[in-house]
Amino acid sequence: MNTGLFRPASVSEALALLARLPEARIIAGGASLVAMINARLVDPEALVSLARIDELKEIIETPGGGFRIGAMVRHRAVAAEVRFGGTLAVVQMAAAQIANATVRNMGTIGGAVAHADPGLDYPPALVAAGATIEIAAEGGRRRMSAQEFFVDWYATALQPGEMVCAVHLPAPRPGAGLYHKLARVSGDYATASVALTMVGEDAAILTRAVIGGCGPTPLMIDEANRLLSGQPSAQNLRRAGDLLQAAADPVDDVRGSAEYRRMLIPRMLARAFDEARVRAAASS
Amino acid sequence: MSDSLHVEIKVNDSPVALDVPLTETLLTSLRDRLQLTGAKRGCNQGVCGACTVMVDGVAVRACLSLTANCEGQSVLTIEGAGNDRAIAALQDAFIEAAALQCGFCTPGQLIAARALLEHNASPSVEDVSKGMSGNLCRCTGYNKIIDAVRMAARRLQP
Repeated sequence: MNTGLFRPASVSEALALLARLPEARIIAGGASLVAMINARLVDPEALVSLARIDELKEIIETPGGGFRIGAMVRHRAVAAEVRFGGTLAVVQMAAAQIANATVRNMGTIGGAVAHADPGLDYPPALVAAGATIEIAAEGGRRRMSAQEFFVDWYATALQPGEMVCAVHLPAPRPGAGLYHKLARVSGDYATASVALTMVGEDAAILTRAVIGGCGPTPLMIDEANRLLSGQPSAQNLRRAGDLLQAAADPVDDVRGSAEYRRMLIPRMLARAFDEARVRAAASS
Repeated sequence: MSDSLHVEIKVNDSPVALDVPLTETLLTSLRDRLQLTGAKRGCNQGVCGACTVMVDGVAVRACLSLTANCEGQSVLTIEGAGNDRAIAALQDAFIEAAALQCGFCTPGQLIAARALLEHNASPSVEDVSKGMSGNLCRCTGYNKIIDAVRMAARRLQP
């Protein structure tokens, strides 16, 4: 029995509805949820639409020079965001590669992170950018790093009754941020992807490299980042690729075999790393 | 059996009142309730673009929009676009460039092309190729669609 569609005007009203209707699902842009309804993977009894909550619709600059991207901000708006320079270009570049122009008019950043499909473009980019997720519950709000937020295939740290309110980005740093995606055709989910940020400091660099589409959650390894920072040699670059390749847990699916995905990781990493170095040098 | 939800929207400038199940998509409402069959059901997953319509001036997938969530919004389908200058120019260009064969994808192509031209009045081949990448066509091989969109763009220049 469908109990209805609710369109609260504030986050607190939305949370009260979620508490009252434990079976309800949140609908943001609908790009993933409605596709799942059409495929009969879900049949929600009630929906709480976030479409009327103004607080969730804006990208605002925060006091430290970072940004708060409201959960209902569409991919199109992030893809067009000119303030995301330096390292934050990784987020803008990922948004610009999501699906296609029409779906980018619909899909939202909050919906994408809460859906946590490992083939999505945002999760690795947000981990690379050092983003945090703002989560609201009836007891208050908390923030958690993107890295901790994604816990498994389609699973996040969200508890029942909680919702994603925003994604916070740290202030952009000089250097480069980029997102490379390998997909069978334009607009497909990633077969594999690399999100990379590189902070240029004199001759040395500080790198964060994240692999997407090759396991349950975005893959980042501190040791690999260490090897890719400072003044990395070709040997260190290879070792970082080997580490990420060994730690990846890809599956065989219609987009590629696990073996193929593993093969892609060091190659895509090297390509992204080289491009980031060129960009970081050009920006300094 | 599902309860119905009462929704009031505008479709092609006419007010429409509907009673729909929670999970009914705008595409189903347009095609099965309003007999507006221009928007096509291809994949029903947001991939093929054949159901593209405008909602409040923005190109969206009708198959990924829930009718109940469109309350108060204004929908434009290909049936309502007869007086639209850009759509008319695109239709002429599609015919002249032979940018369609079976025609199944064409209503979605036209709406997507209109949205593209709104943001980019003189798109390059690459701009069209990227901007229209969410609209699949299994007949033309795309080059003629790109030609048609750019032909229409040139004619729409002031």
